[in-house]
Formats: sequence, structure tokens, C-alpha cells
Amino acid sequence: MNAIAFIALAATQVFAGLGVVRAKNLVHSVFWLAAALIATAGLYLLLHAAFIAMVQLVLYTGGVITLMLFGVMLTQRESGTKVPNEAHREVPAALGASLLAGTMLTAIWSTPDLAEREAVANVATDSLLIGQGFLSEQLLAFELLSVLLLAAMIGAIVLARRTDP
Amino acid sequence: MSPLVLASTAVFAPLAVALTLMIVRPLRHTGVPAAALAVIGALASLGSSIALLAQQLRGAPTEIYQWDWLQTGGTTIATVGFQIDGISAPMLFVVSLVATCVQVFSLEYMNDEDNAGYGRYFTWHALFLFSMQALVVAPNLLQLFAAWELVGLCSYLLIGFYYTKPSAARASLKAFWMTKLADMGLLLGLIFQYVMVHGKVAAPFGWDASVVYTLNAYPASIMGYPIAAASLVAALYFIAVMGKSAQFPLHIWLPDAMEGPTPVSALLHAATMVAAGVYLIVRAYPIFLAAPDVMVAMSWIGGFTALFAACVAIIQTDIKKVLAYSTVSQLGYMVAALGAGSLMGGYFHLTTHAFFKALLFLSAGSVIHAVHSNEMSDMGGLFRKMKLTGTVFILGSLALSGLPFLSGFYSKDLILESLYHAAAGSHEHAGNAAYYFPFLACTLAAGLTAYYMGRVILLTFFGEPSEKASHAHEHGPAMSAPLVVLATLAVAAGWGGGSFYELFSGPMATSGHAISNFPYEFHLAEFTAVGVVASALAISGLGVAYVMHAQDGLKGLRTALVPVGDFIRAGRVDRTFLFLYKSVMTTASDGLAWFDRYVIDGFMNALGAGMLVAGDRSRRAQTGNVSDYVTVVLASVMILALWSQVHAGGAG
Amino acid sequence: MIFGLQAYLSLAAILFCTGVYGVLVHRNAVGVLVSVELMANAVNLNLVAFSRHAEGVGGQVFALIAMALTVVEVVVALAIVVLLYRTTKDIALDGAREMKG
Repeated sequence: MNAIAFIALAATQVFAGLGVVRAKNLVHSVFWLAAALIATAGLYLLLHAAFIAMVQLVLYTGGVITLMLFGVMLTQRESGTKVPNEAHREVPAALGASLLAGTMLTAIWSTPDLAEREAVANVATDSLLIGQGFLSEQLLAFELLSVLLLAAMIGAIVLARRTDP
Repeated sequence: MSPLVLASTAVFAPLAVALTLMIVRPLRHTGVPAAALAVIGALASLGSSIALLAQQLRGAPTEIYQWDWLQTGGTTIATVGFQIDGISAPMLFVVSLVATCVQVFSLEYMNDEDNAGYGRYFTWHALFLFSMQALVVAPNLLQLFAAWELVGLCSYLLIGFYYTKPSAARASLKAFWMTKLADMGLLLGLIFQYVMVHGKVAAPFGWDASVVYTLNAYPASIMGYPIAAASLVAALYFIAVMGKSAQFPLHIWLPDAMEGPTPVSALLHAATMVAAGVYLIVRAYPIFLAAPDVMVAMSWIGGFTALFAACVAIIQTDIKKVLAYSTVSQLGYMVAALGAGSLMGGYFHLTTHAFFKALLFLSAGSVIHAVHSNEMSDMGGLFRKMKLTGTVFILGSLALSGLPFLSGFYSKDLILESLYHAAAGSHEHAGNAAYYFPFLACTLAAGLTAYYMGRVILLTFFGEPSEKASHAHEHGPAMSAPLVVLATLAVAAGWGGGSFYELFSGPMATSGHAISNFPYEFHLAEFTAVGVVASALAISGLGVAYVMHAQDGLKGLRTALVPVGDFIRAGRVDRTFLFLYKSVMTTASDGLAWFDRYVIDGFMNALGAGMLVAGDRSRRAQTGNVSDYVTVVLASVMILALWSQVHAGGAG
Repeated sequence: MIFGLQAYLSLAAILFCTGVYGVLVHRNAVGVLVSVELMANAVNLNLVAFSRHAEGVGGQVFALIAMALTVVEVVVALAIVVLLYRTTKDIALDGAREMKG
């Protein structure tokens, strides 16, 4: 059962990823991205990370995609529905990316340690554990993150406001 | 009184005077008071020198006082101090005596100068006296070297005293430059000597350099050295001596040095400074004794110089130039004697020569001051007007010529005898035929010496007076008293030869080294064959002079010698040096300048320009296109990943 | 078939490289941004996969932090894109050449 789910989700994700990068229309790219993100949430569930999966759905699929769409719509008012998405570097880029993929895959499959790892079962209360982790071990990161979020908000407002009356 | 106090006075009294006069400008500009101060310093030095000499004559032991000077890493490299023994005490006396006489003489001689110049003159005199005394008492060669250079500086300052006169300025520079060139020999010799000894560390020596250069320690160290090393060092020292003591071909600065005031010529360039070279050889004699080939070369150069300078002196018309060449000639005698192994001959002649040459110069100064000219053609018949000057001048000339019983006879005779015995051998030593040339040269030069001095006497003091000479008159006591003192010594110094010999044998014996490398033992008033021949030559030289100049005879000889005179007058040696300088030195300098400008600077310029070009070309990578930047980042990441993979893949 | 750690990692690697390709290829700013999102997503997948196969909950926490950071990045990037559009009326990256050296 798990295997089938994994294969289906994995296939979806890869296919969606290709769609993101190959779509001619920018809005289509964004939608392909949404599909990929949802598939990822499914994979998180397979990995017994329920909280993360929910956060993924809410934050990413909800928030980020919305933001992207806003961005695309805002900047397309005058230049038409299609933003040219063509590429003059397709072949070299494909080659480079393939090279990188090959390298990483070789690294993954040649490391014996990775093959022997067993899945650990810490299942049901993982959100509780995450919360505890945030407020004890990773407290500093947590606090800094909040500062960062504040800074980003202010920064975005400053950058994007209208300066002419 | 303790020798330390006496030595300190002898050396530092003139220094104190010099420093005071140099620093306190208003004092220096007062004129006569400044001069009086200088004379007082000189008298103090003289007094202590006499006391020291008396002590040494009574058999006082050698005293060495040293203080640390240069230190590095906890060990002492060099020391300074005083060494009072039978070698330095007489020299101290000679130097301070001649200096005092000259300074007193200058009180009247230089009174034409304005106060500032007068003060300046005596300041340099005081400084010179200090330097020379410091040289004489030096316990090691490093202090000697330092004082040597300082003496050279004073020579420069005093020769160029009339610095507004171009010829004087040039002459002082020439003297300084030539002696500096020769001093490179001394410097190199010091370095090599240090290397030589340092490599052979042996007890009881230790390895700090002050011991290396301490003259007392020589015998234990020198005798074990290979001859080649000792010869190198000795030859280098001799180069310095050639410059300082005006041996051929480095003698050309001495006649030009006559541009300085006459008392300066008397002190520096007759009696003391030029004698410093001879003194160096005396002090470092064990090194020379270990290098017999260098000794032969020394004798040859000395003999040739003696003869050559005597020939040149014959045709001079300037009275000071005659005396200058005569000095060169006599220095050649001293060097030749030292080369033959006669320490006594060289050193004794140094002292007697100091007296009578200073006397000659000072009396010449008296004449010059009276006639206001250096040329002998402006003189004549001065004996009637300047009886004292004339008398002492004649006495000095006779001493120089080596007339029996005068001081010059004893010392010059000793030199000739030792040269002869070095050549022919004696019951202690085999002879070395190489010494025949110096012997013959010196003997011939003795005759020529008598001739040219006779010529000077006749031209200056006898015959018809010239226009300028008719107004001449004798001078005051300041100029006359020193003449008398020096004349007395010029006559009598030879009779003290025995005690002088005893002074020597003391220190040389304690240093474990007899003077018996010189084959001739000193005898007072002994008339050997050599002595008779020498005296005969002297008298005949005077006779020829009389015939040629007083009686106007021997015209044929005179006309035959005219081309010789012209040749000598052309100044070949001078021109050779000038040519060498222009061709060798300026070419070398130009070459080095080219190298500096094009190779070194060029390299730097190319580097800078290369940087600029590289920067310019690299600018093109900044396209401003964000995609390009991203591409670069990703490409770098890919390369890193690949590299780490290859690396890890190779290891794992 | 057991799909263990290596499978997840391989999947993440493939996704990441797809994102790289997208970044290199796209000519407009939002396209690049979308590809960067894909890459970030792949990284998060990696993190969670590792966390599943290790003790402790650190991996998941890290993943959460990474997600938050990605959101921040998207926010600021879009603000810049809006600004860029306002000044150049176009979001093609080729036009932004002010940084040319």
C-alpha cells in the first residue's frame, strides 16, 4: 500500500516539476507548482510527519501560491496574458542539471550508511514534540525567525509601496 | 701618575677642546681665545705624552685599558681603549710635539684670517690631534680604523680650509676620495682577518672579535695561519697604507694637498697623518711577517716610490711641492724598510722624518709668509734677511739628506743597511735577491734627495733676491720658537736611537716575538760600507746642486734633463686616474643605472600595467544580467558537488 | 519494494535538479522564483526524510524553519519584482542591466 502511494505521489511530483519549468505560460507554471507542493504534502504524510504536511498545505499551497499568483497578475496588466517564457539556454542548462542530478544520485546510492537506516517510530505526538523542540532546543532559532519575519514584512511594505501621491 | 690618567689626557684633552669649539659658536668666533684654547689642549696632550714616554723609558710595563664598545647577543665584538707600550708612547710624543709646534706657529701664520676662520682652523686642528692620538693608542685594529677615517676627515677639512678657492676644494676632495678608496683595503682586510681567525677557534682564544683584533694576542694566533690567508690580509692592509701614506700610484693626492695652509701641510702631510699608514704596518707587523711575498712587494713599491718621487721633486718650482714629493719619497723609504723586515728602520725614520720635515715645512711657511708666494722664482737671497729661518731650513735639509751625525743619517742609514742585508744575507739570515732593487732605488734616491734640497736652499736663500723677496723680514716669536724646537730635535733625535730601540724590544719581546726577523742589529754611529756610500752620495748630491745652481755650471746636464722634466710635468699618473675613472667607473655606473631603470623599474611597471589590463578584461564578466549571475552560482555549486564526489569517491 | 531513505533522497535530488534547470532557463523573474520554490521544496523533503530515519525531532523542526524562511524569501522577492515592474514595465530579467560593471 505504501509502495503504491509512494510511486503515485513521486510520479506526480516529478511530472509537476517538469511542468513548472517547461510551461510556456507563467500562470500555468504556478499551477504546476501548486500540484507539486500538494504531492509533497502527501509524501510528508507517508513519512509520518503529519504536522509538517498540514503546514505545507496551509503555508505553501495556500500562502505562497496565492502570493505568486498575485505577483503574476499584478505584473501582467499591460504586457498581456503571456509572458514570454522561452529559453535560449535549454540544452546547456539541461546538461548541467543532469550532471548535477547524476552526481547527487551517485552520492546517495554509493553511501552504504544510508541504505541501512531503519525507520524510527515516533508517531502520534509529533506535533507535541515539535512544539517542545521549538521552545527548548531550538529556542534561539525560533526567536530569530520571528524577528526575521517582522523584518521581511516591513521590508516588503517599504519596497512595494507607491511613492508617488 | 697612572698611565690611564695620562693617556686619557693625551687623547681627550684635544677632544674636549674640539667639541667645545664646535658646539659653542660664539667662542669659536672670538679668534685668538679660541686658538689659545686649542694650544692649551695640545700642550696638555704633549705634557701627558712626555710623561708616558718617560715612564716607558724607565721600563714601565705595557698597559692596556679597554672598555666594551660593540656588543651583540651578550658577547663583545669590539672594544675601545688605550694601549700604552713602547710603540705607542714615542708616537704619542711625536704627534703631540709636532702638533703643538704647528699650532703655536699658526697663531701668527694664520692671523690674516678673520675671526671665524681662525677659530674654525683651530677647531679642526684640535679634532685632528684627538683623532691621531686615538689612532696611536688603539688597542685593536677596529679603533685604529675608526680613528683612521676620522683623521681622513680632518685632512679633508683642513686641506679645504680655503674652501672658496676652487683648486683647494678639488684638492681636498681628491685627497679624501683617494684615501677612501684605499681604505676599502683596510675594511676588507679587517673582515678577512676576522674570518680567518674565527674559523680557527683555538684556546686560549675564545671567539669574540675584540680578541681577534687585539694586537697583543697576535703571536699565539698568527703563526699558525696559512701563508695565503695572511698574505691576503696583509696585502689588503697595504693597499690602505698605499693610499694613506702616498705610495705610487696612489700618491697623487699629496702634492695637491699643498693647497691647504702650510702649517697643515707640516702637520698632516709630512709628520703625522701620512705616517699613520706606516704606523699601521708597525702595529700589525706580525701579520706582515707571516706574509713574506707581501713584504717583498712592499719593499719594491716603497723603493720605486722613493726614487720616482725624488725624480719628480727635482723639477718642481713650487717650494711646497718639492717638500711634498720629498715626503712621498721618504715614506717610500719607510715602507721599503718595513718590507725588508726592519721594524726599527721604518719606525725610527718615521720619527726623525716627522721632526725635520715639519721643520722644513714650517720654515718654508715662514718664507712663504714673508714673500707672499710659493714659487721659488719669487724668492732668492733670503738668508740675509731671515737668518733664523734660513739656518733651520738648512739644518733640516741636511738632516733630510742624511748628513752624518744628524738625525736623518741614523735612520736613513739604518734603512739602507737593512735593505742591503735583506738582499745579501747576514750571519742569521739568507739573503733574498729580490731586495736588491729597493736597495739600489733607495740609495740612488738618497743622492737625488740631497740634490733637490740643495737646489731649494740655493734658489731660496741665496742668489739674487726677486722683487717680492726684497721686502722679506723675519717673523715674531710665535713663528720662530717652534722652528727652534724642531730644529733641535732634527739634529739630536738620532742620538736617542739606542733608547728608542730599547723601547721596541720591550713590547715585542713580551709578545713572544723577537724583532729578529729583521736582520740588522742596531749600532749607534757605526760606519759600515753602506753608510759610507750613502754619506758620499749625499755630499756629492749637495755638491752637484751647488755647481748647477750657485755656479751655474753643468749646463749640458741640465739641457739633457729638460725633456725628462717635461715628461714628469705632464702629470701622467693624474691623467691615468682620470681616464680610468671616466672609462671604468662611469661606464659601470651607466650600466647599473640602465639595469635599474629598465629591468627593475620596468618589471614593476609591467606588473602594474598588467594588473590594470587584467582588471579591465575581468570587468566583462560583470554583465549586469541577473540570469548570468545565477548561472554562475549554480555552476559553482555543481563544480563543488562534483569535486567532493570525486574526492569522496576516490577515498571511499 | 521497500522505499527507504534512498528513494526519498533520490526523489528530492531529481526535484532539485529540475528546479536548477528551471532557474537557468527562465527569462523572467517570476519564473525563476517559481523554480526556486521547487528547489526549496525538494530540500524540505530531504530534511523530513532524514528526520524520519533518525532519533529526535530536530529534522522536522529544521524543516519548519526552512519553510518559514522560504516564505520570507518569496515575500521579499515578489516585492522586488513589483518594484522592478514599476520601473521597467516588464519583468524580463535581461532588461535589468544596471549592475553591469
